[in-house]
This record gives sequence, structure tokens and C-alpha cells, in this order.
Amino acid sequence: MDISYFIFLSSGLFLGWSLGANDAANIFGTAVGTKMLKFRTAAIIASIGVILGAVFGGTGASKTLTDLGEINELAGAFMVALSAALAVYWMISNGTPVSTTQAIVGSIVGWNLYSNYPTDTTILLKIVSTWIICPVLSGIIAICIYICIKYILKNSKIHIIRQDLYTRIGLVAICAFGAYALGANNIANVMGVFVEASPFHEVKIGQLNLSGTQILFFVGGLAISSGIFTYSHKIIKTIGNDVMSMSPIIAWIVVFSQSIVLFMFASQGLQALLQAHGLPSLPLVPVSSSQAVIGAVIGIGLAKGGRGIRWSLLSKVASGWVLTPIISAFICFIFLFFLENVFNLRVYH
Amino acid sequence: MFQLKLSLFSQTKSLENKIDLFHDKIINVAMTFKKAISVFLREQRSEEYRKLCKQIKNIEHDADNLRREIENQLYSQNLIPDLRADVLELVENLDSIINRFDEVAYKFYIERPEFPQEYHRRMKELCEQVSDCAENMAIASRAFFRDVSTVRDYSQKVYFIESESDLTSGKMKEAIFDSDMPLANKLQLSGIISEVADIADIAEDCIDELLIFAIKRDI
Repeated sequence: MDISYFIFLSSGLFLGWSLGANDAANIFGTAVGTKMLKFRTAAIIASIGVILGAVFGGTGASKTLTDLGEINELAGAFMVALSAALAVYWMISNGTPVSTTQAIVGSIVGWNLYSNYPTDTTILLKIVSTWIICPVLSGIIAICIYICIKYILKNSKIHIIRQDLYTRIGLVAICAFGAYALGANNIANVMGVFVEASPFHEVKIGQLNLSGTQILFFVGGLAISSGIFTYSHKIIKTIGNDVMSMSPIIAWIVVFSQSIVLFMFASQGLQALLQAHGLPSLPLVPVSSSQAVIGAVIGIGLAKGGRGIRWSLLSKVASGWVLTPIISAFICFIFLFFLENVFNLRVYH
Repeated sequence: MFQLKLSLFSQTKSLENKIDLFHDKIINVAMTFKKAISVFLREQRSEEYRKLCKQIKNIEHDADNLRREIENQLYSQNLIPDLRADVLELVENLDSIINRFDEVAYKFYIERPEFPQEYHRRMKELCEQVSDCAENMAIASRAFFRDVSTVRDYSQKVYFIESESDLTSGKMKEAIFDSDMPLANKLQLSGIISEVADIADIAEDCIDELLIFAIKRDI
């Protein structure tokens, strides 16, 4: 294997680390923030879930990103991932929850602009439309679950102690499902641009066949896990309780809604099932878990009558969503210029 | 794994039982107190009254043990982190009602106040009211754990009965100070009446807090 591939891959791993730090906090941040789960327990469950999701469900969404910009040089892929990672890192170090998806889309568009390749506006619009559909859908799902749970709790008369136990079990289960959905949906952001040049070959472990792409995604999954363990606890402080104070049950609803949305945008099986029955299906696109969380939180806030939502913080979060792709595209464009003209590396052909 | 789940469920069940038992203690102590004062008015410090006082003391002792166990379990198992402080305060408040029943019953035993016959009916009425108040407080608190939507109904009962007990105690004090008995007796009886009526006041304060806890309990 060419060692230079791994050097270039390092930017993707850095982006994976950023995704782990930022987006995984969306999965279990509320559970840890409400002290229902220990950080360590949640981090272990989330890491396993993310890796499984990346390896076994990650191929669907990565194709859309490849269609947006077929980055044909390894150095270019390196810079696209690095720009996205730097944009994400810069935003999260400012305490702003940020979308890794928007960062990578911004970077790819930056690469397209630099290399004079046309950006497929249909795909770009498809991706950008999910930035609106994703939080709206998450909000609608959250409202539905909230109403159901409220009805069940009112009529079942479960003891507060038993309710606590069920909530904990639910949070563990949803933490695993959410992490799986995150891995499946967002691994494309981390490793998608490296798929074309992947040096990994198919590996057979017993009855299990892993393709080269799956091994690449496994490596990306490990990078996400390292982000979960090393930095996500800092992001937990911003997301969740800051936007609206949450009870553990609300935390569960938020993560559940977000996980469903991520799963809907990642599952090839679900897409095939809907299409087979003549139902409208969602595109397989990497979506932002941050947007899904915010959508769910606002949905529940509105279901409660709109009180308790801190709109001022939301505007800060929303401004992050607008700025992220722009900053990422700008960084990518500038750095590609340096890479090509200072280091004499080919970033496209 | 399966054993761990079973253990979690059995621990949960055991704590639920303890909380239920704790509420039973309030209802028990209220009923025993009512009976004890009735016996005292009839027989003064008789053997039966002494037994009833001992019974109240035992209930208070058991309630203290249950309170400690509930508090320990809530903290050691890190249960209901968002509502734990409220539940602990609620349990402490309920315990203070039980303690007050015990203190008042003991005060009757020590001071042996002599209520003239004409005040017996009102005194029994007052004891009935404070007992009802405490019982409804216990029912409201139990509802907080299982069926939070009904807390408000029982709270209204507590408020109503508490104001009735204020009226009863006020009328009794007026009648006592209008009577010809020596001032020392008047002051002693007035003090005892205030102590009994205070039980309803404590229940009312507990209900005020419970209503806030109930709002926080809503998801």
C-alpha cells in the first residue's frame, strides 16, 4: 500500500474526529447532560454503534457526495476533508454546534470552483433541501412522539421510579440506534471523498465479507470514536439543555426523532421498501445530526406551547449553519491554491 | 445480562414498595392520633392512651427508617436525577408531619391538659380535620408518584380542610379566653390547640411545594 495515501487520509481522520466530537454529542449529549447515563457508558455504546453503522450501512449516502464532486486526485481529497475539518473545529471551539455535512458539502463545492468542474446543481439542491427537510421532519416526528408519550404516561400511571428505569433502558437503546444511524449517514462526510482512491481490498473474516470501502469506513469509524472519547463532553455543554431545559424523557424523544431522521436518509433497505410499495422515498444524503436535534427540540418546544425555547441561542446556531459551508468552501479554495502552487501537488486532473 | 435486568427491576419494585409504605405510615399515624386524642379526652392519661402514644412513636420510628432507606437508595443508585431533590424534600416534608403528630401526642401525655367537657366536641372536630388534612396530603403525594394529574384535586381538599381547621381552632381559643378558667389553663389549652392546628398548616405548606414539584414532573 502507498504510504502517501495514509498521509492524505489523515485529514479525513481529523474530520472523523471532529464529527465524533460534535455530532456524537447530539446522540447522547442529552442523556449525559440529564445525568441519566454516565459519559463513559454512553461513549462506549455510541462508538460501537457508529462503527457498525459506518461499516454496514454507510454506502448509500456516500454515493450522493461522490456525485456532487468526483474528486479525482488524492491531494484534492485531502484538502477537501481538511478544510471541512478545520471549519468544523473552528466552529466547535467557538462553542457553536455545527454541521459536518454542510462543511464537507462546502468544501466539495470549493474544490469544484477551484478545479472549474461544474457543480451538479440538481444534487446540490437535493442536499441543500435536506438542510430544511431534516430539521422540519425531525420536529414533526418529535411532536408526534411527544404527544404519544404524554398520552401513555397520563393513562398508564407508571410509578416515577419505574418510569426512570424505563427511560434509562430507552436511552441506552436509542443511544445505540442513534449512533448506528449517525455512522451509516455521516461516514460519507468523513470518508466519502477517499473512496475512489481506496487501497483497501476485500477481506473475509469467517462468514463475513468486508469490501475495501467497508474497511475504509471502519477506519473512519475508529476516528469518529476517538472524537467521541476525547472531545464530545465539551460539546455536550452547549447542545441540549442550553436551547431548552430538558427532562430525561424529552431527551429520549429528541434522540429518537433525530435517529429516525438520520436512518431515513441513510437506509437503502428502507428506500427500497418504500419504492417497492409505490411510496415517496427520501434521498440517501448525509444530513446533519445537529439540525435534526435542533429541529426536534423546537418541535417539542412548540408542542409545549412555545415557552422555554431560547430563540437567541437558536439564532446563533442557525447562523453557524449558514456560515459553515461558506467558510469551508473558502478555506478549501485558498488551501487548494497553496497546495498546487507552493507544494506542487496535483489537486485535480 | 438477564440477571442484571431482573436485579434492576427488583430494586425498582422494592423502592416503589418503600415509598408506598412510607405513605401508609402517614395515614396510620393520622388515624392513630385521632383515636388517641379521643381516648385522652375521655380517660386522660390512661393505659390505653399510653399504648396509643407508643404506637404513634413506633410509626414515627418506622417512617424515619423508611425515609433513610428511600434517600439512600435514590442517591446510591443515582435514580431520577432531575427530580431527586424534589422527591427528597417531599419525603422530608412528609416525615415532618409524622414527627409533629408524635410530638403533639407526647405533649398531651406530658402536660395532661384538662379540656372542660364543653370543648370536647370541637377538639375532636379539630383532630378530625388535621388528620384528614394529613391523609389527603399523603394521598396527593402518592398521586405525585403515580398519577400526577390528580395531585391538584387532593391539594384543593387539603386547602379547604386546613382553612376549616383554622376556623375551628380560632373559635375554640375565643371560647376558652371568654371562659372563667384561670389564665394559666387558658394559655396551656391555647398552646395545645395551636400545636394541633399547626399539623394542618404544615400539610398545607407541603402541598404548596408539592404543586410546584408536580409542574416540574410534567414532561
